[in-house]
Amino acid sequence: MSESLPLPCERTLPREFTLPREFTLPREFTLPREFTQSRRGLLRRASVGFGSLALASMLAEQGGGRCLATEGNAAANKEAETVAGSGIPGPHHVARAKRIIFLFMSGGPSQVDTFDPKPLLIRDHGKPLPFDKPKVQFNSTGNLLKSPWRFRQYGESGLWVSELFPEMANCVDDMCMINSIYGTNPAHGGAVMKLHTGSDNFVRPGIGSWVSYGLGTDNSSLPSFVTICPTLAFGGINNWSAAFLPAVHQGTPLGDASVPSDRAKVKYISNSRLPAALQKLQLQHLERRNTEHLQHSAPEASLDARIRSFELAFRMQSEIPKVEDLSQESEAMQKLYGLDKPETANFGRMCLMARRFAEAGVRFIQVTHNDSKVQWDQHSDLKAGHEKNAKEVDLPIAGLLKDLKARGMLEDTLIWWGSEFGRTPTAEGNDGRDHNPEGFTMWLAGGGAKGGLRYGSTDDYGYFAAENKVHIHDLHATMLHLLGLDHERLTYRHAGRDFRLTDVEGNVVHELIG
Amino acid sequence: MSRLNRILLILVFPVIIFSVLSEIGAQEQLNSGAGQNDLSEPVRFFENRIRPLLAEHCLKCHGPVKQWAGLRLDSRESLLKGGDSGAAVIPGNADESLIIQAVRHEDENLKMPQDSKLSDSEIDELVQWVKLGVPFPETVARSGRTRDPEHWAFQAFEKPPVPAVQNANRAANELDHFIMSPLEQAGIVPAPEADRRTLIRRLTYDLTGLPPTPQEVQEFLADTSADAWPRLIDRLLDSAAYGEHWGRHWLDVARYADSNGLDENIAHGNAWRYRDYVVSSVNSDKPIDRFILEQLAGDLLPSANEAERRHYATATGFLAIGPKVLAEVNQTKMQMDIVDEQLDTFGRVFLGMTFGCARCHDHKFDPIDTTDYYALAGIFKSTRTMDTYTKVAKWHEHEFPTPEFQKVRTDYENAVASKKKQIESTTAEAELKTLREELAELEKNPPEVPSAMGVTEDTITDLAVHIRGNPLRLGDVVARRTPPVVQGSEAPVFPATESGRRQLADWLTHPKNPLTSRVFVNRVWRWHFGRGLVRTTDNFGITGEQPSHPELLNWLACRFVEDGWSLKKLHRLILTSATWRQSAAQTAEMIEKDPENRLFGRTLVRRLNAEETRDSMLQVAGQLDRTMGGSLLKVKNRGYLFDHTSIDLTDYSSQRRSMYLPVIRNNVYDMFQLLDFPDPALPTGDRATTTVAPQALLMMNSDFVMQCADGLADRVLKDGGSDMEKLQQLYWLTFGREPGQSELTADTMFLADIEKSLPDSDPGVRRQKSWSVLCHVMLASNEFLYIQ
Repeated sequence: MSESLPLPCERTLPREFTLPREFTLPREFTLPREFTQSRRGLLRRASVGFGSLALASMLAEQGGGRCLATEGNAAANKEAETVAGSGIPGPHHVARAKRIIFLFMSGGPSQVDTFDPKPLLIRDHGKPLPFDKPKVQFNSTGNLLKSPWRFRQYGESGLWVSELFPEMANCVDDMCMINSIYGTNPAHGGAVMKLHTGSDNFVRPGIGSWVSYGLGTDNSSLPSFVTICPTLAFGGINNWSAAFLPAVHQGTPLGDASVPSDRAKVKYISNSRLPAALQKLQLQHLERRNTEHLQHSAPEASLDARIRSFELAFRMQSEIPKVEDLSQESEAMQKLYGLDKPETANFGRMCLMARRFAEAGVRFIQVTHNDSKVQWDQHSDLKAGHEKNAKEVDLPIAGLLKDLKARGMLEDTLIWWGSEFGRTPTAEGNDGRDHNPEGFTMWLAGGGAKGGLRYGSTDDYGYFAAENKVHIHDLHATMLHLLGLDHERLTYRHAGRDFRLTDVEGNVVHELIG
Repeated sequence: MSRLNRILLILVFPVIIFSVLSEIGAQEQLNSGAGQNDLSEPVRFFENRIRPLLAEHCLKCHGPVKQWAGLRLDSRESLLKGGDSGAAVIPGNADESLIIQAVRHEDENLKMPQDSKLSDSEIDELVQWVKLGVPFPETVARSGRTRDPEHWAFQAFEKPPVPAVQNANRAANELDHFIMSPLEQAGIVPAPEADRRTLIRRLTYDLTGLPPTPQEVQEFLADTSADAWPRLIDRLLDSAAYGEHWGRHWLDVARYADSNGLDENIAHGNAWRYRDYVVSSVNSDKPIDRFILEQLAGDLLPSANEAERRHYATATGFLAIGPKVLAEVNQTKMQMDIVDEQLDTFGRVFLGMTFGCARCHDHKFDPIDTTDYYALAGIFKSTRTMDTYTKVAKWHEHEFPTPEFQKVRTDYENAVASKKKQIESTTAEAELKTLREELAELEKNPPEVPSAMGVTEDTITDLAVHIRGNPLRLGDVVARRTPPVVQGSEAPVFPATESGRRQLADWLTHPKNPLTSRVFVNRVWRWHFGRGLVRTTDNFGITGEQPSHPELLNWLACRFVEDGWSLKKLHRLILTSATWRQSAAQTAEMIEKDPENRLFGRTLVRRLNAEETRDSMLQVAGQLDRTMGGSLLKVKNRGYLFDHTSIDLTDYSSQRRSMYLPVIRNNVYDMFQLLDFPDPALPTGDRATTTVAPQALLMMNSDFVMQCADGLADRVLKDGGSDMEKLQQLYWLTFGREPGQSELTADTMFLADIEKSLPDSDPGVRRQKSWSVLCHVMLASNEFLYIQ
């Protein structure tokens, strides 16, 4: 019996092979004897060695992966059952989106200069704001400052976009423009953490980790949450760490904001000394050593899990660089993302990588635009600063939207564009704007978000969110909803209570759903 | 068996195994955090919307304290019973319900709340609630438990008698009786004593975080005297490495870090003094009650001399090193956030209680309400942690102008003065320029007074309850006091002239306090056995777990107090027990009767933690630098570790023990992050151990591991002798044992394979590299990284 067990066992293994579960067996947990024995049997039999073992798993995985990729609601339901049945808390209902790409514009782009035109701001330029400024402000500002850029309406929906974003403007019919976002914190650190984790004063899991926890992974050779060139300031790793969630849900960073995107690599993804063939020999020897040890050791589940983690690592090592390798993309595709122009190449590369990670089954992909000087944080010299930043992101983002649409991936990929706050319509100094969490703009696209919609508004000057206000918590709740997750049920017990991304707040904004 | 049946069986059997795994996984998930999934929709609606609303607007006058008009609104029963005007609600009929009429202000004589009208949405929610039939679970539904003041952990306790056991000659001390008694009842024969090679390896790691040297192993194996074991324990307890290792345990719960983290990640340039204070306190076996007192109130203690004063003041770093939002623009909020962080840390670390919840509302599970919270918060509010609150806020530091520093300062002042004099007396333009530059350079870098982060007294004050945690909405002022639910010790009196930290510490460490000693011995048990008697080491509240051995916990706590709160005595008690020395072997009967090993019938195999992994690799490579104390931080005090450029200014290349490497919040050293180092922003008494693929990548590819492999290879190759002898040395260094014949054969073949395949032409280089590749395998292997 045990002689014939191993191979089918290996075939069924891959579903169990996924990162979130198999590798975080509770430490007290003891594997049934049969399991370890059949495992040993398998390893003895697999005399062809380490590489081919990993290959066998991978082939089987691709079969499983195809099931997951099936389109349509019935399939989504089925997937919901399968995943929930394996101990992952979600999904709770039929999902519209399978993944999120978050385009994070670090520093706070100005709403009144991009997507929220204010005629009265032009009319009353230089006059005082006719109502009170917020009680708590970051810096002090003076009188109203009109936008240096003209706005125009685009597309069938007629959404307004300023001349900062001529390329994105052509995609407005896919965008769900929320002009009434508001947050709570006027400083970068607090606001960035609020945006990512829902909390500006405590260490909490980031939204990417919650999504990974809620939905599990959709592939077996890649992490479920990657963040490309994240900033290490303003909360740093807290913004993608799993905090108290199991470690597998931590975001995997590719480089950080201090390195250009063509050098953004996963840490330890390659060996600086050994050629692949030699490393394979080495890993085979390690596996032999560990397998022998398993026979002498007292039982402990993670000993075996650790053997398998090397197999998975070996697969990641070959898979991740393939996803990152943009040379496989055609010249036209590279051009679509602006890889051919020096000003757009860096951010374009991140966007194109994001699409490739999305295709490969990663659940949450964050791309950070982080100009090395002051990001979008134009306390002064608004015109030059915003123009430089806008130029860097406009074409790549439009390219990403068009590309996803052409591939049919916009259907189930939710794009989220935004920042930690917007800026004041009043002037800081002569030509700058201060931080403003009271009312600003973000947009969603694809993944069930209603295209061509303008939702909510700020007051006549663009300072405070006024109509149909959407708090960061509401936005988080809505995005989780699109992924099939109920933000009130996606909880994790820690230090004696159940935690949520949305704390005790948040309402799903159903009007945003198409 | 037909062919078809056999195929089916082959296909199905593994599936069964995996579905068993999945179910256990699912169960674990339920236990650990499926959260509110089991709440019904109406109950969730009540808990989220109505309970807080009632608490905020109604219960002050119609609750447990006051019942205006004879009305209470804190249970369904009392709502139905109503007050002087009759039933407050008619379930299902909102319009006819008095409570709805009152909140709508329909009747001039019945307007509630009196001072302000509820918002329309709040009224709508109340209406909806009445329409739903007034769901009002008496207890919080999800746990099915009440806010129970009778909860075991809050009760005073006595030292229990030592239970009798059948197999008494197996027991080495009283502790074993408490473990053996339930095992005997369950019919489980505990694992036999582990072999001596396993024991010395386990013990050396347990007490020092380092592997034994081959010589130490051999000496112990050869020592057949009766007291070899207690002498080994004493040797290790006397080693400096003990204080480093056990000090690091304490730093986990003290959420120690060398940077602030959160929004403004600036350097805690002087936090290391607190770290060194902890190491020296542990090494000197400072009584733990004293250790607690110093950390909470060291600045208030009398001291015989300047060195003592520095020592005590440094201890209060415990309160000061928490993460703070230093650019919070709302200064009142920042101040209360800091108080909250201190209070929550204090509660979790010493009492195993989570006070944080009660900042905004009465604790949902534990009998702690907002008045209890603000009564304690007053103590920390009366304590000065910060010097300024304007962004970027500055924390307080104790300054120690030591005689040595005075000399440095005098020398500096003299240097500046003489430079100025030189400038005055110089006329040559070129020379003058140089001198001015030199002066500017000098003035830019004045010597910094040796300082330690710590707290001192502030204006003494009692705090008002902050309604829903809002510093702008204040309720009644609450006098400083300790939470009444913690029974056993007498409530201290808080003087108007002191913050009350001294009194708080005295109350904590009073022998009758039901929590402090039990929480502490449980932590020590967790650090020795990998799992607490109460598994939730930082939560003894109602949502925490029950102790697996309540009598043992009480007995240990009493014994610990009797022994003068001596940690070393507690170690000796535990380490000389038969329980600690049993092997990790598991019998079929254990799998069946106690699969989780809740009864401690065997020892758990454990993986080395992050620091042990790094230190062990350096040690076997012969590269570990054993210098103690001081700072390795390259960024100066209050300087930014990270700004918007994201450039990492921290350097981890030192070969000192891991506990001396900088602990940077928001960006913990990646090797440590991968190996489950706890988040240094939160107290952690029970580190997780995960097994994930990125750890394997680290082991396969990190330069650190490969450099240690080089070091190990050099060490082995440098001595003469045959390859067989070298392999033997390698096994002794890494695994502490002789290699087996098959291992020698396999390794020899492996070395030859690698040497043959390496591209280098120099045979010496090829030899060195192939040995390094083998050493790398040893360092990455389970046997090196797991303790039996």
